[in-house]
Amino acid sequence: MAAFFKKPLRPRRVNSIKNGPYQEKKQTHHPSQSLLLSTDIDSNLNYLKAIFQDCSDVIFREFLLAQNEQIKLALIYTDGLTDKTQISEQIMRALTLEIPMVVHGEEITRANALHFIKMKGLCINQVRESQKIEEIVSAILSGETVLLVDGHSTALINDIRSWEMRAIEDSKTETVVRGPRESFVETLRTNTSMLRRKIKNPNLKIEMTKLGEVSKTDIAVAYIKGIVNQDLVTEVKSRLEKIKIDGILDSGYLEELIKDNAYSPFSTISHTDRPDRVAANLLEGRVAILVDGTPVVLTMPYIFLETIQTPEDYYEQSFFTSVIRILRIGSLIASLTLPSLYIAIISFHHEMLPTPLLLSMAAQREAVPFPVFVEAFLMEIAFEIIREAGIRLPRPVGQAVSIVAALIIGEAAVQAGLVAAATVIVVSLTAMASFTIYYSGSITIRLLRFPLMILAASLGLFGLISGITIFVVHMAGLRSFGVPYLAPVGPIITGDLKDSVVRVPWWAMNKRPYLMGQNNPQREASRLKPQPSRPKK
Amino acid sequence: MIKKIICLLLVLSLVLQGGCWSRKELSDLAIIMAAGIDRTPDGNIRLTVQIARPRAFGGGTVRPSAAQENNAWVLSQTGETVLDAERELEKKVSRKIYWGHMVILVLGQEAAREGIRSLINFFSRSPNARETLWVLVARGKAEDLLNSHSQLENTSAQSTGSVLRDAVGVPVMLKDLIMMLASKGTNPTLPFLELTASGAPQGPGMKENIPEAKNKQQKVTETHAEITLTGTGVFKDDRLVGQLDVPDTRGLLWLTNKIGPGEITIPSPAEPGKKISVNITRGKTKIEPFYDGQNARFEIKITMEGDLWEQQSTEDLTDPKIFAAIEKRMAQRIEQRVRSVLDKAQFDYGLDIFAFGESFHRKYKKEWAALKDRWDEVFANADINIAVEAHIRRTGLTTKRIF
Amino acid sequence: MLEKGKIDSRQAVFLNITMIIATALLVVPAMTTAHANQDAWLSSVLAALLVLPIAWITVKLSSLFPGKTIIEYLEEILGRWPAKVIGFLYLFWFVHICSLMIREYGDFIVTAFMPETPLIVFHIVVVTIGAYTIKQGLEVLARTNQIFLPLILFSLVMIMSLATPEKDLNRLLPVLEASCVDIFKGSLAPLAWFGEISTFTMIIPFLKKPTEAWRIAFISILLVGFIFTLLVIGIVTTFGPSVAAMTYPVLNETRVINIAKVIERMDPVIMSVWVMGGFVKITFFYYVIVLGSAQWLKLSEYRPLTMPVGIILLALSMAIADNLLESIHFLANVWVFYAISTFELGIPLVLLIIAVIRGRGGNNN
Repeated sequence: MAAFFKKPLRPRRVNSIKNGPYQEKKQTHHPSQSLLLSTDIDSNLNYLKAIFQDCSDVIFREFLLAQNEQIKLALIYTDGLTDKTQISEQIMRALTLEIPMVVHGEEITRANALHFIKMKGLCINQVRESQKIEEIVSAILSGETVLLVDGHSTALINDIRSWEMRAIEDSKTETVVRGPRESFVETLRTNTSMLRRKIKNPNLKIEMTKLGEVSKTDIAVAYIKGIVNQDLVTEVKSRLEKIKIDGILDSGYLEELIKDNAYSPFSTISHTDRPDRVAANLLEGRVAILVDGTPVVLTMPYIFLETIQTPEDYYEQSFFTSVIRILRIGSLIASLTLPSLYIAIISFHHEMLPTPLLLSMAAQREAVPFPVFVEAFLMEIAFEIIREAGIRLPRPVGQAVSIVAALIIGEAAVQAGLVAAATVIVVSLTAMASFTIYYSGSITIRLLRFPLMILAASLGLFGLISGITIFVVHMAGLRSFGVPYLAPVGPIITGDLKDSVVRVPWWAMNKRPYLMGQNNPQREASRLKPQPSRPKK
Repeated sequence: MIKKIICLLLVLSLVLQGGCWSRKELSDLAIIMAAGIDRTPDGNIRLTVQIARPRAFGGGTVRPSAAQENNAWVLSQTGETVLDAERELEKKVSRKIYWGHMVILVLGQEAAREGIRSLINFFSRSPNARETLWVLVARGKAEDLLNSHSQLENTSAQSTGSVLRDAVGVPVMLKDLIMMLASKGTNPTLPFLELTASGAPQGPGMKENIPEAKNKQQKVTETHAEITLTGTGVFKDDRLVGQLDVPDTRGLLWLTNKIGPGEITIPSPAEPGKKISVNITRGKTKIEPFYDGQNARFEIKITMEGDLWEQQSTEDLTDPKIFAAIEKRMAQRIEQRVRSVLDKAQFDYGLDIFAFGESFHRKYKKEWAALKDRWDEVFANADINIAVEAHIRRTGLTTKRIF
Repeated sequence: MLEKGKIDSRQAVFLNITMIIATALLVVPAMTTAHANQDAWLSSVLAALLVLPIAWITVKLSSLFPGKTIIEYLEEILGRWPAKVIGFLYLFWFVHICSLMIREYGDFIVTAFMPETPLIVFHIVVVTIGAYTIKQGLEVLARTNQIFLPLILFSLVMIMSLATPEKDLNRLLPVLEASCVDIFKGSLAPLAWFGEISTFTMIIPFLKKPTEAWRIAFISILLVGFIFTLLVIGIVTTFGPSVAAMTYPVLNETRVINIAKVIERMDPVIMSVWVMGGFVKITFFYYVIVLGSAQWLKLSEYRPLTMPVGIILLALSMAIADNLLESIHFLANVWVFYAISTFELGIPLVLLIIAVIRGRGGNNN
């Protein structure tokens, strides 16, 4: 199985943090590291206060235990990340007022105070103990509430995290007509819960780790044990472990840090904000990486063909899906080559056009002062500008701008004789075609369109085909976590072709994709083809 | 890495810098729609080209004004070869001459009499001109034929192309001509076209000079002429030796199994003065050669199916006897036509223009080797038997004439 | 081993097919028809049969020395210095084929599509892309080919079927008019091309299942023979004996397609087929040269040789012929005998005999 990752590529070197430690076991770079609490609450508090100096959102609350007023307690939490009602009701109130109700004559002493508070005093469902200052600091910062008890070098860490978050909404980037609507949100725990709700199986493993020297971002690696290739999980984790960076604000950071080919414009890791897509990927034996603070989840390995696949493909009926997929392949090819093909035909291969079309084209071009390459190139750039403006503009003005742009470019340019009508048609068709395919794939395609146009303008169709050859060779050389990028077409994997250009009905997709799911290939029972049950004799 | 990028850029710039080697913008092209070739008295070639003027067609929003411009520009130049003449033309034409969309190649009558091999070589060799262009012979000069307009199409070249494709003549593309010239088993035939008066001119640019009209001192300005299919030119090897009229052309089509849409008109069996017309829906010809060591014999079997579409007479078509009589007359009519063109080929010209030689070759491959060089002679002396079977399958929307 | 990648049996079959058919489809039908006229398809079938022994010898030799290419096992058969000489000759032969292919590649595009562009431009482009591919190894070439070959075959089938209205099966008659000698002569040109299967010896060591080598070679030849025969039949039924006078009959075939005035003018399809197929073929031979030279020089890595070999190929491809007719004449009259008699059949046969007599190779198993 070691040969599976024939080319484990070096992850990028990270220069920003030279010899900074990444895990607590290693050397220090923060004063509190690997330090332990003392039994004296005041010195502990002083120490922590020194750490959180000028952190106005970290609250220190000192109070006395109800039963034995000799025992001083202190609550430390970050305002805004915790549920204040719960702190008041379940900790403060419990410890200052309600403890006498549960004492039943027991003596609370300095020695047993911690145990007593934990076992009887706190009305909190998730409490753990810690002695390490570093752990306590990180708990406070991630929203947990720390309770220090005088005379104990152990702190109680209560999980009553709660903060403002966006509600679960429809997916913004991948919309479907039929199928689940929900999309991931910024909170990691919510996201994992959405996965768990789809796959209610203990084999769905969600391993947590923290990345980012400064940001300490929570990262979850999710996979289904028994389906996933364990080597793949190891590989993903080892690539993650090598990362040393100050902060991770979006999964995009990770994507660039762990992808196989650092210089390729093609993305070899998929990203999505749809839980159903992630769940489907996990079921096929892929691994997902969830990052706290972003709704975008990475899944890997990723093959090129997924560019033309959508989650809806698997919910709609298979005949329809297959036709639509062929249409998308057409769109993919069109959005990559249409402008360059147009340039090649108009400036080199006039013999390709039927005579009436040639004459009509010639008539259109009579008035245009530019060579077709310049014209098409400018139009493409104009389109990219409009598209970019459409994304960046404040929402209320967006509509107006796109109308103006369409009018200017479409109507006025043609009227003024600056651009041939055919060019406008070609450019807009290309633009529309690029939106039919998976967004991150279409970014790459849009980028590659320009070199192809240059090639087509200088060498005609030969240049165009040569350019495509380069792309194909490049893609054939890519691997995504050991999986050839162009699979199942190059190399041909016969079994996987049934979910490629076409999608066969669910009852016929018996096997998981070979390269990801060969560990546990059987996906469903083999005789599922529906038919009316035969009348019993 | 930087070195690699620099290397790549160097190669790229080398490959791309002169990117314009083969580039021809569409607006830099003089698109030739038709070419005509005549011979000058001193043996040179006179090349006439019809160049499309896209400016006049209007594309999309740029419609031309009401005053119709001429859609094509016809001009001629003399040179020693076709290419030489083309170079001469380039001195006048501001754009690059482009042959890729040429629709017809017109050979002047006189030029064709002196042999066409040398005239078409340029077009079969150049990668620009296509094998699918139509080749035809003009009555008189090719130059005059090209100097014409079409009422319906943009240029007369396109109109002629469509006429040749659909009409009742022998359609010959350049590739067919080359194959006919290469084959020993047949002699080439080419459609024969001329300008004929066709209604009043529909715009200021639409007047032509028809040679006849000029002689008769008619009001030339009021006549419009279209290029019209008027028969078939018969070649002996590559020299034009004669012409078949339209009915004989039909016979030729029957014999070469290329009969397309058409009609047959026969006198009514009951009322001799009146006519019946049948639309041909299917026609098939089988030619079987026989050879006894001395003489060749051909058995020709023609089967034809058609629909009766016009009936001037009033006989009752529901009567099987009458129906059979009509079918018999049709068969006779076809046989008559075929016989007429066969007689011309065998006795007037002594030329196999029906590719009988090729079917002979297929059956008698050994004997062919000896006969192929004197095939026309063998053909002229061959016995040819014709059997025609004609059927009327339908009679349109009426059975019996009641009005 | 120099090459780390492995290719599966299907990829090997695909590579063999492209390696042979890519250039054969363009120039060979005319050469065959020149001798055999309408019986050219018989020549093609004959060539496919005649090439089987060549393939068998190639595979047999390879199987005696598992895991070794011809450059390597020559040494075991002949000893050090003779092996160096013969190995060099083989490399020279590969270089020769490859530069001829590059020349053909450029010539076709210049002749048929872009007459004003200098030949060298096309050569530079294809060699550069080839070098890029070789840097990534055999696997990548095999995968690329798995995408290109179906496209090529699909295009050919499409062209042949769209030209059906122009076809007349009668043009194949009379059968067997050409004498047996003529048919044999006609089969020599395709035989020389099919014989390039002997290059397969260079990739047998990199098969995932080397034991299937004979099956791979056999299936490849079967398919190549089938495709080529269909092609010849298609062309002859369209043009009859005048095929012999054409430079690139398949191109002419494409140009006569005209269905309903809409599907016409398909010649760019042939150009795409040619560019894709030619690229794979050239790159394959280029790869074989680079790999072979590295083995001949006993280097530990073949990639550094990519650039130098590429430059040699470029220079040779420009110098190899003065004009198109010279290169076609060479291919039709000299190449055929030179290729078959020495490198495709002659030397391997002698090697096999020596190896069997000396009983070498067997003990390596």
